[in-house]
Amino acid sequence: MSTHPPSDTNRGDLRISLVAAVVVLQAVGATFFIADAAIDLSAGEWGFHILTEVVIALALLTGVVLGAWQMRQMIEQARRDAVTLGLAQGAFAEIIAARFGRWGLTAAESEVALFALKGCETAEIAALRGVAEGTVRAQLTAIYTKAGVSSRHGLASLFLDDLIAGPVAGTGAGLKD
Amino acid sequence: MTEQTKTRRWDPLVKITHWGIAAVVLWNALIVGEGSAAHIYAGYVLAGLLALRLLWGVIGTRAARFSAFPPSPGRALAHIRAIRAGEREAHVSHNPLGALMAYAIWGTVGVIVASGIAMAGAPPAIEPGTSAAQLMYGEAGEHEGGEGEESEEGGGEAGEVFEEVHEVAVNLLYVLILLHIGGVAFETARSGRRTILAMLPGGK
Repeated sequence: MSTHPPSDTNRGDLRISLVAAVVVLQAVGATFFIADAAIDLSAGEWGFHILTEVVIALALLTGVVLGAWQMRQMIEQARRDAVTLGLAQGAFAEIIAARFGRWGLTAAESEVALFALKGCETAEIAALRGVAEGTVRAQLTAIYTKAGVSSRHGLASLFLDDLIAGPVAGTGAGLKD
Repeated sequence: MTEQTKTRRWDPLVKITHWGIAAVVLWNALIVGEGSAAHIYAGYVLAGLLALRLLWGVIGTRAARFSAFPPSPGRALAHIRAIRAGEREAHVSHNPLGALMAYAIWGTVGVIVASGIAMAGAPPAIEPGTSAAQLMYGEAGEHEGGEGEESEEGGGEAGEVFEEVHEVAVNLLYVLILLHIGGVAFETARSGRRTILAMLPGGK
């Protein structure tokens, strides 16, 4: 159960990196402009032109600070999400293992049941486990009987029910019921 | 899962400013000529990168903030004792020795930027038709009549002092960079690849 959704997290990382790159460009641009404005200010007399430059410089500076602040929020949110996802995945794996144990599934049946939950076809499961399709079919029948359901949909809905019924907050959440 | 949070990488802004500063130092030290327009512009980029990193030290992510790695000789000594004793503590941010190095490098880069700007003034205007070679190797402003007054202002005794400070600080920076690379190599050998991976692209 250590599979991660790589596409989603990678896209999030890429987005954060792009924002970081923009903030860096902004900061470098602001530095040039502020240096220019400061040197104009020290050399020249006060006037509308210089006032404008100072206002723009301050606006650029504010933009950089706000951009950096925004990026920190993004990074922290992404890290919180990763932790939450990890907790949820771990908790759900525990729920599944606990249920299998309670139903009295054998080790082989547990594996088959997990493949079935993940959406593998009977033929695929047979190929993955290197056994005949008939064996898998017999194992699935035994699993359905032990779980008290009549089909693969019934099996899946038992777990879906857990997810919908309440938030899977802590690791111990699945052990009650 | 808990393992992952311990081996966390630096955030993208830390990585970009780190490698950006490294690139500018290499560029100004090895590629472009002293006092060229390209050198001065790169110096301003360096100023921007340093300023942003320092800002990030105040409002950035937890590991990037100064509060996560205060400069403390006492803790650095304790860290050296821990290394001697073969102990390995986990650090959320820089280890205490690395923290001192970071502040030393930033301080030195700050002096380099300040003395450079004191010598060169504003980013020189680039006239259309100026060749890349002129930008990279020619003396900035030498083909500009209007800037003559200003460069004279930067000359004289004060100018020589700035030049001296600039050169001494740059040489100090080279020493610090070598020590920094040595430190990273040592820490990588001692604590594993994650020391160096933390600053490379990818990961979280």
